[in-house]
Amino acid sequence: MTRSAWYGLKMIMIPDIFKHPTPQQDGAGGRANSWFNDISPLPNSPRRGGEESEYLQYPVIEAIDIEKSYWMGSTVLPVLNGVKIRVEQNEFVAIMGPSGSGKSTLLHILGCLDRPDTGTYHLGGRNVLAATDYELSRIRATQIGFVFQAFNLLPALTVFENVRAPFSYSRINKREARSRVENAVARVGLTHRIHHRPAELSGGELQRAAIARALAIGPKIILADEPTGNLDSKTGFEIMNLFQKLHQEGASIVMISHNHRVAEFAQRVIALMDGRITDK
Amino acid sequence: MIVETAEAVKIAGRSLMQHKLRSGLSVLGVVCGVMAVLAMIAVGEGAKEKTLKQIGELGIRNIFIKAVSLSDEQIQIARERLSDGLRIFDRERILSIVPDVDDIACLIEIRAAVISTAHIEFSPQIVACSPNYAAIQRFHLSQGRFLNDQDISGNHLVCAIGADVARQLGINGQIGNFLRIENELFKIIGVLDRYYRDKETVTTMAIRNINEMVLIPLGAETLLASSNEVQKEYDICALTEMIVLIKSAETVFRAGEVIKRTLDLSHNGVKDYQIIIPLELLRQAQRTQRIFNLVLGAIAAISLLVGGIGIMNIMLASVSERTKEIGIRRALGATRLDITLQFLAEAFMMTLMGGCIGIVTGIANAYIISQIAGWNTSVTFSAIFLPLVMSISVGLFFGLYPAVKAAKMDPIKALRTE
Ligand SMILES: Nc1ncnc2c1ncn2[C@@H]1O[C@H](COP(=O)(O)OP(=O)(O)O)[C@@H](O)[C@H]1O
Ligand SMILES: [Mg+2]
Repeated sequence: MTRSAWYGLKMIMIPDIFKHPTPQQDGAGGRANSWFNDISPLPNSPRRGGEESEYLQYPVIEAIDIEKSYWMGSTVLPVLNGVKIRVEQNEFVAIMGPSGSGKSTLLHILGCLDRPDTGTYHLGGRNVLAATDYELSRIRATQIGFVFQAFNLLPALTVFENVRAPFSYSRINKREARSRVENAVARVGLTHRIHHRPAELSGGELQRAAIARALAIGPKIILADEPTGNLDSKTGFEIMNLFQKLHQEGASIVMISHNHRVAEFAQRVIALMDGRITDK
Repeated sequence: MIVETAEAVKIAGRSLMQHKLRSGLSVLGVVCGVMAVLAMIAVGEGAKEKTLKQIGELGIRNIFIKAVSLSDEQIQIARERLSDGLRIFDRERILSIVPDVDDIACLIEIRAAVISTAHIEFSPQIVACSPNYAAIQRFHLSQGRFLNDQDISGNHLVCAIGADVARQLGINGQIGNFLRIENELFKIIGVLDRYYRDKETVTTMAIRNINEMVLIPLGAETLLASSNEVQKEYDICALTEMIVLIKSAETVFRAGEVIKRTLDLSHNGVKDYQIIIPLELLRQAQRTQRIFNLVLGAIAAISLLVGGIGIMNIMLASVSERTKEIGIRRALGATRLDITLQFLAEAFMMTLMGGCIGIVTGIANAYIISQIAGWNTSVTFSAIFLPLVMSISVGLFFGLYPAVKAAKMDPIKALRTE
């Protein structure tokens, strides 16, 4: 306990947790911090002017030579062996691969929840591997929308509160957050269930709520990890139609699936095999 | 940081509301600790206030020398050693030998009946005293004047009476009227202000109840003594009490030592007197208070430790139960600081709530103690502030470890738990 408590104390003392984002010296130059804390509006129209058009030059995701292995006791389990992936603005990409091929691991790295052992990763032109833990959290709060297989809604909160939860971690004023939440819930067609709790919703409705949560912050990229895995095929197709609609409205989406029929909804399908990408 | 804290408090508040019973039960330890500490401080402060007041009334620059009534055997020995109680010449001796003495008042208690002019007989305490008694004991008069030197030298039959005596006498208790004591008439020349003292003070500290006193000039007691068989034999003209006023509080102890030796010599070792130094009582009271505070501190520490462990226990359970939530929140963008603050806020709010409940029940307890046991209790600022601060710091201290543990979780592992 003393050891952990000391680490805890150190952790709290370490400035990077308290530190607010500082300008980063990276490929994107001084521009990086200009979008660091802002939440870009949902890209529902590809035509945009001024400063914002500037980052359209960059791919949303550009990861090169990503390697990641896990230590299983004394043996090393390589999962990703030099993955290269590039996702452009307003692309809808599906990643396919057998179970255990490292799809989730890759998605976590792309979602700034995890770091690769080696490689480079630029999100919207910014080298995120140089960011601190605090900064990565802020990036997740403002630029990344996760959709999980198991929905991962907080059971104690209503749909509205679940969708609003990410705004606890970004500097958005209350009224703005509220209107974004209501807008997102409307876009997934769940307005009539907005004050219900997860226990009162069907699987399809749960996933819609989760998509609304990912959508509400106006993320650069939506990352979905087998979003239809827990749904029957009919509901699964409804959800895929929703993704397709969002894509048509301007969203950039990376989706994991091991179902061909589901992956067909994407513009582009890439396969993950033996820790490498084999583009189709 | 402020924004993060505000969010954390909101989230923590919700979580507590979901587990009302559990949160309530886990703060019970803190509630009891705070309650006990508050009640004990209130009792301690009350006792302290009371002793200080009692000692203050005796006067910290005073030294009391009181005659001790002896058994027949002891009287025999005292006679053999030529000691016959406190005498006027003891006063002269102390004045000439003991340094730093400002003044000495002499008192003789008289057992005699007062027969009022209204033909009601009652028995106030009759005391013959030197005129400086009023100054040394800081008596104030509501009417007339106190006894003075002319009353002594001129053998005036006058008296000053206490407020209760005056009230009992009614119209006859006003100055200018006469008061009959045994067979003599004493003219009332002054009425003393009322002094508010509870009965216990009067009995425990042997302080005279001024309100029920009749004060006559020293020397006048000889007129009354002839009719009093008991006093005749031995006690006549022996002083009941001397009050020595020392010039400054710093020299009281030294003067006390000198007085002891002086009297020991002049009384040939016979202990027919007793020396009371209020300042010494004060020091003793302070020592007792310090020990009491130490015990109190230990009890407070233990009870809050127990309360704190209760909090830590429930927070650890809460953290492991909500691993999934932590993973989700981290994925949604919560920083480690956000997670730390969320759980810390929860622990903090619990103990704060426990502290507030403890304070309310503690005050109630102090009141009940004062009502049932009749003890003087005093809910001072520190009686409330100290336990409150302690409960808050317990929340922060014991909440920190679980909160940090939550924040240090690997978000991916946390997400994968079911
Ligand atoms: N924390 C971990 N420690 C050790 N091995 C892990 C860990 N996380 C994942 N793995 C392993 O890495 C491989 C890839 O896992 P994952 O990315 O979840 O695969 P997928 O999502 O494609 O099914 C699996 O063999 C899994 O057992
Ligand atoms: Mg997976």
